[in-house]
Amino acid sequence: MQNPYIPYPVEVVKIVTEVDTKDIKTFRLAFVNKEDEEKFKYIPGQFAELSIFGKGESPIGIASSPTQPGYVEFTVQKAGVVTSALHEMEVGTRMGLRGPLGNSWPIEFLEGKNVVIVGGGFAFTTLRSLINYMIFGDNRKRFGKITVVYGARNPGLLIYKDELEAWSKRDDIDLNVTVDKGDAAWKGREGFVPTVCKEVGPSPENAVTVICGPPIMIRFTLPVFFELGFSKETIITSLEMRMKCGIGKCGRCNVGSKYVCKDGPVFTFAELDKLTRDF
Amino acid sequence: MEKRLIKKDALTGIIGKIAQEAVVFAPVKVEDNVLFKALEKGEEPFLTYANSKNAPKNHFFPRSEVMLRYTRTAKGVEFAGGQKEAEATVLFGVRPCDARSFVLLDLLFDQEKYKDPYYIDKRQKATIVALACVHPPYATCFCTSVDGHPLSADGADVLLTDLGEEFLAEFVTPKGEKLLKYFGDVKADAAAEAKKEAVAEQAAKEIKSHIPAREVKPIMDANFDSPFWNTIHQKCIACGTCTYLCPTCHCFDITDEMKRDDGRRLRNWDSCMYPMFTKETSGHNPRPTQRERWRQRAMHKFSYYPENFNAIACVGCGRCVMYCPVNLDIRKIVTDISKL
Repeated sequence: MQNPYIPYPVEVVKIVTEVDTKDIKTFRLAFVNKEDEEKFKYIPGQFAELSIFGKGESPIGIASSPTQPGYVEFTVQKAGVVTSALHEMEVGTRMGLRGPLGNSWPIEFLEGKNVVIVGGGFAFTTLRSLINYMIFGDNRKRFGKITVVYGARNPGLLIYKDELEAWSKRDDIDLNVTVDKGDAAWKGREGFVPTVCKEVGPSPENAVTVICGPPIMIRFTLPVFFELGFSKETIITSLEMRMKCGIGKCGRCNVGSKYVCKDGPVFTFAELDKLTRDF
Repeated sequence: MEKRLIKKDALTGIIGKIAQEAVVFAPVKVEDNVLFKALEKGEEPFLTYANSKNAPKNHFFPRSEVMLRYTRTAKGVEFAGGQKEAEATVLFGVRPCDARSFVLLDLLFDQEKYKDPYYIDKRQKATIVALACVHPPYATCFCTSVDGHPLSADGADVLLTDLGEEFLAEFVTPKGEKLLKYFGDVKADAAAEAKKEAVAEQAAKEIKSHIPAREVKPIMDANFDSPFWNTIHQKCIACGTCTYLCPTCHCFDITDEMKRDDGRRLRNWDSCMYPMFTKETSGHNPRPTQRERWRQRAMHKFSYYPENFNAIACVGCGRCVMYCPVNLDIRKIVTDISKL
């Protein structure tokens, strides 16, 4: 029996400081044992427990795409004990990785459909995984039009800046990056995510919206999509809760009868409607 | 099924013999409490007990256990080993309600996709000898309301029933049959079985506490936002006694501790009654007051567990009722909700 509580040993091979405030970094982790990488087969939208012996574990969404072999990436905000320890780490340090955990973005459901991706702030990590998966090589043909609306409070808080630049040069992805308030150097769009979604106005025809962001953004963006004609079945999000075990045993991350760690984190708004409002 | 009759005074000797070949956990009197603990050489169990204060789930899911160890190396802190394998044990004198709790915990810890190796290892290596409640011991017993029975063999490998002069021993599972050799060769006759049936009927009648546990789920689901929850929790002091004594509560925390270069990751019982249980790093808490925590505890047992596993996560042992320092009573709560 594989013990799901024992993490795979990994090594930090690259660290990117994503934002001006320096409290959000992307960590690239490579498996110490090659065979572990085979066991860690993941799908965009899943998460894993970043495990630091002596400190604890933190559940974080996987920011890389399975189309990027050799490593797994996580974008982490410095907040608590484990993430602070992580932010102190240097390239070459060994730590643990436990997963992949949870369900995933519903890739099969998205296939053949137009996909609208809406992200806010640093909740863009598993959406980045999904975008990189969809636009990789022949994968691109399996999906219709891809529209992305991504916003941050200011230009310095946008993450994955190099990739945003690269995506903006492609003609098979409609990228709309916005900031609440620009600075002197900002040449791009200004405006809140809900407003920009309204302006972009994606058609609900054969389309699915995948949305992740702070609750306040989601609250104001949802009505925009309902107005555009999207149903609750075609708007998908990912929940966060305090977690420990990640496999539905330790009992804290449930919303009603569903455990966010194993039945989620991905739910449609139709599914969330059936659950108790306990999150 | 093999069935044997044994003289009542032979039981202690039988336990002694089993204890020579396996670790036997049995009820023992410790100061004012009856607790399940490993019998030391020559130690005799306390057999005229009502029920143990602690639930025997502790045996498979200890209050605190080491999940893994690690050590500091030049490369960082690295894994240094998991849990050592469990040894064969016999749990002697488990009450039928507590034996049933193992069946309920199996549903959670031994699922098809995610298996909990720590629990499963200890559980597989243990044989459960249950002792039927010929006279249900407490006014707070309500096992018959939650699919149990004072003479139930659910979760037991061997069930012992006191028939007055002798014990009827029923060997319910192949694991239980391995203990057959200790129980002599007097096979139970039809008269003994008839006697057991009469005892069972009488025992069930002696349970005076009844709650509408099976009917309450849809009413609870419909009343998630009911003002009912606004007041019931008010006297709760969030001590967590109910969840610690509960045979089916399974929530745990995972913590790390390190001394110099060596450390370990532990899991400790946790409780949905505690404010920190769901508090997130951001400060947000999905269950911000005792109101939400009480609702969670009640609904986990009587709505969510039935939904996920088709079983009520309560065995009716009554410990949470008996030992609550402010007299909160889950029976009353379930009963009151059913009237909404």
